[in-house]
Amino acid sequence: MPGALSGFRIVECGEMVSAAYASKLMADMGAEVIKIESPHGGDAARQRGPFPGGKPHAEKSGLYLFLNTNKRGITIDLEQAQGQEVFQRLAKDADLLIHNVHPKHMPAAGLDYGRLAAINPGLVMTSITPFGLRGPHTEYEASDLTLWNAGGLCFLNGGGPGTDHLPPLKAFGQQAGFTAGVHAAVASLGALFARLRGGLGQHVEFSVQECLMGISEFGTMMASYAGMAVTRLGHKPIQPLDLLECKDGWIFICCVEEHHWHSFVDLMDNPEWATEPLFEDRLKRGESWDALKLLIQDWVKDFTVQDLYLKAQARRIPFAPVSTMGYLLNSDHLNARGFFVQLDHPEAGSLTYPGAPHICSETPWELRRPAPCLGQHNTEVYTELGMTAQDLATLQRAGAV
Amino acid sequence: MSRPPLDGIRVADFCWAWAGPYGALQLAHLGADVIRIESAKRLCPSRLIPPWPDNESGVNRAGYFNQYNQGKRSLTLDLKAPEAIDIAKTLVSKSDIVMNNFASGVMEKLGVGYDVLRRIKPDIIMVSLPGYGTSGPEKDFVSYGPPQVAQSGLSALTGYVGGPPMMAGFSYGDPNGGVHATFAVMAALLHREKTGQGQYIDLSQWEAAIMLLPEALMDYSMNGTQPERMGNRDPHMAPHGVFRSKGDDRWVSLSVRDEAEWQRLCEVMGQPELSSDARFATLAARKENEAALEEMVTAWTQERTADEATQALQSAGIPAYPAVDAIDMVNSPHVGSRDYFVELEHPEVGTRRHMGIPWTMSRTPCEIRRPAPCLGQDTDAVLTEIVGLSQDEIAALRERDILT
Repeated sequence: MPGALSGFRIVECGEMVSAAYASKLMADMGAEVIKIESPHGGDAARQRGPFPGGKPHAEKSGLYLFLNTNKRGITIDLEQAQGQEVFQRLAKDADLLIHNVHPKHMPAAGLDYGRLAAINPGLVMTSITPFGLRGPHTEYEASDLTLWNAGGLCFLNGGGPGTDHLPPLKAFGQQAGFTAGVHAAVASLGALFARLRGGLGQHVEFSVQECLMGISEFGTMMASYAGMAVTRLGHKPIQPLDLLECKDGWIFICCVEEHHWHSFVDLMDNPEWATEPLFEDRLKRGESWDALKLLIQDWVKDFTVQDLYLKAQARRIPFAPVSTMGYLLNSDHLNARGFFVQLDHPEAGSLTYPGAPHICSETPWELRRPAPCLGQHNTEVYTELGMTAQDLATLQRAGAV
Repeated sequence: MSRPPLDGIRVADFCWAWAGPYGALQLAHLGADVIRIESAKRLCPSRLIPPWPDNESGVNRAGYFNQYNQGKRSLTLDLKAPEAIDIAKTLVSKSDIVMNNFASGVMEKLGVGYDVLRRIKPDIIMVSLPGYGTSGPEKDFVSYGPPQVAQSGLSALTGYVGGPPMMAGFSYGDPNGGVHATFAVMAALLHREKTGQGQYIDLSQWEAAIMLLPEALMDYSMNGTQPERMGNRDPHMAPHGVFRSKGDDRWVSLSVRDEAEWQRLCEVMGQPELSSDARFATLAARKENEAALEEMVTAWTQERTADEATQALQSAGIPAYPAVDAIDMVNSPHVGSRDYFVELEHPEVGTRRHMGIPWTMSRTPCEIRRPAPCLGQDTDAVLTEIVGLSQDEIAALRERDILT
C-alpha cells in the first residue's frame, strides 16, 4: 500500500536535527526524499553518535541513522558552480526543498527562492532558521542549547526553591531541533496542500525561536496576563506533581484533579495526616509541598516503580514511571503496538529503532530503507537526472560531488 | 487577496485541555475553520486556571485558553443529550477533520466513534490522541502532559550532573503530542486530496515523546547503556552551558562548537594564552577539566549582563543567547520587530500580547484572524450556517438546556 505522501519529491539540505527530522517524518509517510550532504564529511550528525562501542564512525551514528531513514543520500558541494548546476536540476523536479542552512550561508548555497522559483514555479521552499530571515538577530549563531534559552524554555527548569546556585537546566538532547522540525513539517505540508489546490509554490520562512516561545506554556501568558516571570526557583502552584524515588527507580506522581488525590489517599490507606487542612486542596498542597512531599516520599519508597504505577493506574490516577531506555524497549504496551522496529544497515548492522507515533488506517507507516551512507545514491540519482557516467566523473574530479 | 492554505477546510474539534487544542491551533494557523465543541457543564480545564488579567477569574479570561485557542470558534453543546449528538454528527458531515484527545473509548461511548462517523462522512479524517494510543494493554491508562515527560524517558536523561531526574518544561508532552498529531492529519489531508480517501489516525502521545530522544534510545539499542545526566554539558562541545551573568538570577547560554571558536572565545575573554594551555588545548582536555573551564567562563560572564556577553560572543561568531524569561520574551526587540506577536481586541481581556505563528508564507499568508472565542460565542452562527437549524429550532434546543 502506498504511504500518505507517496509521489511527493522532497530535497533536503539538513545539518543535525530540524530539517532532517521534518523530512524524515515525510519520508516515513512515503515521500521520496533526497538528502544532500557536503562531500567534505557530510551532515554533522554523522559525527555525534552514539556509536557502537563508543567508537566514532561516520556511518554508525545513532542520531544520524534515526533521522535519515527512508531517504536517499547524495553529495553536492553547493558552494561550487558545478554543484549548483546539479542542485538546480534537482530543484526543478522537486515539490519541496527543506533546509536549515544558516541565513548567512543561504546565498552562497544557492538557496534563493526567487531564482529557484524561476526554474520551478511550483517549488515550496522551507527555510528553518534560528531567528527568522528578518530582524536584528537574524545573523546570530545558534546551537540547540542557545535556542532552548532563546525560546524561554531553559529558564523554566531546574531544582526548584533554594537552588539558585544552579543554572537553568536544558532538556536532554536536541529538543529545539525536534520541536522545530515537526512544526516546520506541518507548515510545509500546508504549503503543499495550497499548491495541490491549484496554487503555485512559495517560500516558507520558519523561526525556531518563535516556535519555542509558542510552546512555553504558562510562561508567556504569565508575563502577558499577570506581568510575572515563571522561574525554576518557585513552587509549583498545584501538587502532587513531582518525581519521587521508589525502591528500584523513580516515579512521577500526579494528582491534577481532586478525585485523583482522593483516590491516592485511599491507595495510601487513608493516613491521618492526609486530613490536615494544610493539604485540603491542590493549591494548599502546592503551598505545603515541602512538608507533604516528605510524607509521601516515605510511603513511596517501599514500592517498586512498576507496582506503584499499576496500582495507581488501576484507580485511574495518572502516575507514570520515570522510564529508562531499557524499560521502554521492554514495554509490553509499546511492543504490542509495534512501536519499535528492527532495521538492518550495511555498516551499522541490525538495530532497534523507534518507529512512528501514529497508526494510520489507510496509509501504513513503513521503513523501506535505512539511512544512506555518504553519497550512496550519487550514481542512481544523477542517472535519473539524465547525467552520464562521464558527467559524474567530471563533477567528481572538480570535487563538486 | 490570497487565501490561507487550509481555507475551506473545516475541523470538528472535540479536543480539550492542552495537547489536542495545541494540535488544532496549528490547523487554525493554516487557515482551517476550527470549531471547538465545548460545554459549560464540563468546562475545559484551561478555562479554569490562572493567569487572569488583574487576577480576576472568568471562563473567558484565562490566558492559557486564550493563547491556545486563537483563531477558533466555540460551539457549546451538552454531548450527554441525544439531540446534541445529532448536531455533532451533522457538523461532522460538513467537516473534513475530526480531532479529539479524550481517553481511549470516550468518543465511541458518546456515539461518535470513527465507525459511526465514517458512515456519515466517508472521507472524514479522524485523529484520536490519547496518552497511550487507542490500542495495546495500557490503552485505558490515564495520562497528562507532565507525566509524559517522565514516561517518555526524557526525565531520566535530564538533570544536573550527579543529581536526580528532572522535568523538561511544565507539560512538554502536550504540545509535542498535539503537533505530531497535526503532522499526521496534514499527511492524511494531502492523501485525501489526491485519492479521495479518508482515514483514522491513532496517535500515542507517549510514543510522540519517545521520538524526541533517539540519541539515548539508539545508545541503548547499540550498547545497552542508559546515558548519564549531564546538566547543560554536551559530549562534543566544551564549554557548553548556561553561565551566571550580572543581575539577579540572570544567565547566559553559550556553545563552543570547534577549536576555532574556542580560540575566539579566549580572545573575547581577554585571555588568548588560554587556548594553548594544556588543560584546555583540545576538546578532550576541556572535557577532562570541564569544571575548571566553567569556572573561568563564569569569571568572565558574571562581570557582564547577559546581553553584553551575548553581543561580545556573537560578534566573534560564537553561539550565545541570554537565558530569557517570559518578561524578556514578550518584550523582545528582535521578535517585536517581526510579525509574530498577536494583539487582537478580545471582549473580556482587551488587547493582550499572545504568541503567534512561527512561520510566514510568501504566497498564502497565514494569520490569526480572531482572538480565542468566548464560551459558546459562535453557537448560533454554527448552528444556522453549517448545521442548518432555524432560529426556532435553536431556541427550542436552548430551552431544553442542550446548548450550554
